[in-house]
Amino acid sequence: MKAITTWLSGLVRRRYGRMLPAVLGVSLTIALLAILGIFINASAATMTLRALGDVPVDWQIEVVPGADVAAVEEQLNKSARVRTVDPVGYADVSGFTAKSGGNTLGGTTQTTGEGKVLGVTPTYWKDFPALLRPMLGTTDGILIAQQTAANLHVSVGDTITITRIGLPPVTVRIDGVIDLPQADALFQAVGVPAGAAPQAPPDNVLVVPMAVWHQWFDQQAVVRRGTVRTQLHVRLDHTLPPDPRDAYVYVQQLANNFEARVAGSAMVGDNLAARLDAVREDALYARVLFLFLGLPGAILAIILTFAVSATGGDRRRREQALLRVRGATTSMILRLESLEASVVSIAAVIIALIITLLIVSQMVTIPLATRQTVGVLVIALLIGIGTALAAVIIPAWREARESSVRAGRARVGRGEAPFWERTWIDLIMLAIAGLVYWRTAAAGYQIVLAPEGVAATSVSYGSFLAPLALWIGVGLLVTRIFRHSLAGGRAFVAILFRPLAGALSPIVAASVSRQARLITRGVVLVTLAFSFAVSTAVFNTTYNVQSRVDAALTNGSDVTVTGTTAYPAGQLLDSISKVPGVRAARAMIHRYAYVGNDLQDIYGINALNIGDAADLSNAFFANNDAQGTMQKLAARPDGALLSQETVNDFQLKLGDVINLRLQNAKDHQYHAVQFHFIGVVREFSTAPKDSFILANDGYIASQTGDTAREVVLIRGNVSPAQLAKSVEPIAATLPGARVTDLGSVLKTISSSLTAVDLHGLTWIELSFAILLIAGASGLVLGLGLIERRRDFALLAAMGAKGRQLGSFLWTEGLIILVAGMVLGFLTGFGIAKMLVKVLTGVFDPAPQSLAIPWAYLVVLIFAGVLSTVLAVIIAQRVTQRRAIEALRTI
Amino acid sequence: MTDVLAEAIDAGRVFGTNGSRVVALQHATCTIERGDRIALVGPSGSGKSTLLHLLAALDEPTSGIVRWPALGEQDTLRPSKISFVFQTESLLAPLTVLENIEVPRLLGGSTADEARNDASEILDALDLGALADKLPEEISGGQAQRAAVARSLITRPALILADEPTGQLDHRTAKNLLDLLFRRLKGTDAALVIATHDPVVAGRMNTQWTMEHGVLR
Repeated sequence: MKAITTWLSGLVRRRYGRMLPAVLGVSLTIALLAILGIFINASAATMTLRALGDVPVDWQIEVVPGADVAAVEEQLNKSARVRTVDPVGYADVSGFTAKSGGNTLGGTTQTTGEGKVLGVTPTYWKDFPALLRPMLGTTDGILIAQQTAANLHVSVGDTITITRIGLPPVTVRIDGVIDLPQADALFQAVGVPAGAAPQAPPDNVLVVPMAVWHQWFDQQAVVRRGTVRTQLHVRLDHTLPPDPRDAYVYVQQLANNFEARVAGSAMVGDNLAARLDAVREDALYARVLFLFLGLPGAILAIILTFAVSATGGDRRRREQALLRVRGATTSMILRLESLEASVVSIAAVIIALIITLLIVSQMVTIPLATRQTVGVLVIALLIGIGTALAAVIIPAWREARESSVRAGRARVGRGEAPFWERTWIDLIMLAIAGLVYWRTAAAGYQIVLAPEGVAATSVSYGSFLAPLALWIGVGLLVTRIFRHSLAGGRAFVAILFRPLAGALSPIVAASVSRQARLITRGVVLVTLAFSFAVSTAVFNTTYNVQSRVDAALTNGSDVTVTGTTAYPAGQLLDSISKVPGVRAARAMIHRYAYVGNDLQDIYGINALNIGDAADLSNAFFANNDAQGTMQKLAARPDGALLSQETVNDFQLKLGDVINLRLQNAKDHQYHAVQFHFIGVVREFSTAPKDSFILANDGYIASQTGDTAREVVLIRGNVSPAQLAKSVEPIAATLPGARVTDLGSVLKTISSSLTAVDLHGLTWIELSFAILLIAGASGLVLGLGLIERRRDFALLAAMGAKGRQLGSFLWTEGLIILVAGMVLGFLTGFGIAKMLVKVLTGVFDPAPQSLAIPWAYLVVLIFAGVLSTVLAVIIAQRVTQRRAIEALRTI
Repeated sequence: MTDVLAEAIDAGRVFGTNGSRVVALQHATCTIERGDRIALVGPSGSGKSTLLHLLAALDEPTSGIVRWPALGEQDTLRPSKISFVFQTESLLAPLTVLENIEVPRLLGGSTADEARNDASEILDALDLGALADKLPEEISGGQAQRAAVARSLITRPALILADEPTGQLDHRTAKNLLDLLFRRLKGTDAALVIATHDPVVAGRMNTQWTMEHGVLR
């Protein structure tokens, strides 16, 4: 016991210089792993929260005609925790008619096609605010959808007639005009098989109080049973599992439970599960992304800890020799060494927890699930403590097994090549990297699979092997090449460093070549540290640039004004063009067209000038030629650009005639319009990701009899937020017009990973990367030099002047820094390229090239140079100042 | 021209601060002249090494003066005018024996060829030619010490200070080492100071200085 306390006290008082770097390495490992794990959980929970916020109605339960609504509601309350539930009546009608009550067309009659009348309770507005948006008049009477009002040319105070099915018509006075922002969800077909084509929401809609609705349609339900239905709109309690995958399964199970209870008398339109389903893939990609980007940092921190620990090898050998001389057994020696590991572990755990707490409290804004957080912390701590124990005890155990002190002393070595070198594991790893990469590429880089509607998900973690094997392979190959080059290239090193070392250069070169193993270790560490930092930074920058491109595509331009067919934003084009700060404003048509049975978005543009306000990247078109494609479209009035999916589905060839069905302004019915297929478009401003059509605006207008342009794209000379503010007063004059700017869209793209805490992770990773570079280039070099201070002290004792001593130190430092930096940059760019390819699924759209963070790369170089310079200067000063002391004590 | 290579006047050396103050040397006054053969004897911890370090300009006195009238300024003494032989193995680990011996010449400004020729010549002269390409970890302690002596001689210094150079060697090896040293210095006016416990070694020197409790008698 006495021996242990004496040893412990000696360690803390005299060996803190050796233990401190190990403490830093282990605490970096623990902190990085803990933060990474917490971020993965937090991002998943954030995605779930955002997904929940996006859903206008969690469940739409359609009660089978004739079933007891109250009984269904009772079963609902038993099967799930319900926050609010409102019944909504849906009645089909033959149409609406407005007779000379219109304000503009006195004496004429406007008639619509089929429509729907909804009955809502007074609390519906409060319970589901996202579904109905008031535009004109009151909210508690007979309300008409603005599209229907436009079709009938009526407004508040006008009278319309509802043509009921099988019953006499009803005439009512309009109390208000509303917008139906979530019409797709509101009128979705409940109970259709998954994957069925969505049906278009009705153009003609009236919303009335529930009591009035019953009065009008209870009888219709009797005479025409299938034309009247009741839905229960439900908001569930949102206490769900934090991960979207678990939340999806949980919500789906609740719905199954409910449907089993009601035994066929109701069906669930599970909007919540559908939304979570869509987010699951993003959540998996987020996890993959964090692991790809974060794990190498943690591995590097572990390697660094081992390297730091290894620099104390000589001292450890001497201490062990002394202990053995005094009768200590191997187990006693290991017990004493484990004390050092314990001290390192305890200090590292405390520091890591403080770092983690500080960073997490600053960067994670949502409440963390206790179980997951504790799980992550326990794993991180176990790995960290394991690293500390292994880094100290394994070398000690190896030393203890050495047959003699003298054998253990050999550090210069002309020993045989290590096992991995003899078995060419470096080249095998590089081959594995190539093979896995090729296989991932062959699979279309699909490393995450979350099939729609299927509970099971899968991640091809095997794809991780490509960058991991590349990293390891490069590390080993660099070791092989450098060890042999330094050992055999003395003459070259002597010539290279003659300007620095002068006449001493042959001796310096000899010293370098015989310490090839030590110097190579430094080169490899610096290479790995730089490659990690460069690959992470380049990937993150590319990702951020693509996020901005994604946001620009989603928003369309710096600022976008979106109107409606009734009140198209194109009306405002002239006024908007005059707003200070507007560089270019262009209007475009946005409507819907049927391609076969598939309803797609169709955009009508002026191909010659749309590029003034919208981004047109070559990557947006299959022929990689944006300008050429636009000229082609302009030259062919009936030309149409289609998505690849449409081309495949309909087996189209360039030049084919296609008939699309578009709504005509005269009769509001869909009629066939002939187009020529002239090219494939992948992306376009404001267009959805999957399928859409791009055509000439003049042609669409002439064929549909409607010149309205629903969207205005605005490019500005000022910031998008500032521009949006200037445009908003003009847009306010148009009912239903919305103004969105690039910045706000970037923040709120809910389906994209940009919504995840990747920004925080990036910041942490890049900071850790700088620390790792400083550690690899400065700490390991400095500790290595100080470990060999006896040699330098002997040189000083022989009369070496500062410059001469410096030539030994600088030569080693420069070889490690320059070679490590160059190789690290090359490897880093290679890995970044591979990551961008392997993680193609993260990007929307895929990047054309890597984005280079020049400023950060300069900071990296500066960090490497500074830490090397400091290490050499400190080592030189320590050696010169204490030469005789070093010779006395070492 | 003076024959005084080095002299200490009332020199003292104290290590540590108040709490752990160790007086290693006090009021030492001595002179070393050309051709001197001095044995510095005394028990362990008596201050022999400290005095040698001061005389070799490896350390500085905390009181008194140490100077080198015939040799010049302090920062010009090593490696050409004074050389030092350590008690423990002192060869540079990554260099061969030949390269170790070249180092003082190279530090003194010689060209690589000059240093290589002189080192080879001295190795042959001292029967160490077979060790030329060996690394320090590949030779015995006695061989390493002989190489260290060869290294101390390569610059033909005016003063050689050796701190118990035979302390870790058996009698026979120690005798061979001293024979080698004396043979090499024969006919030169270089001074030799050896700190030693060994009366046989001391007996081969012209003068004996005795150290006790940090005091030179």
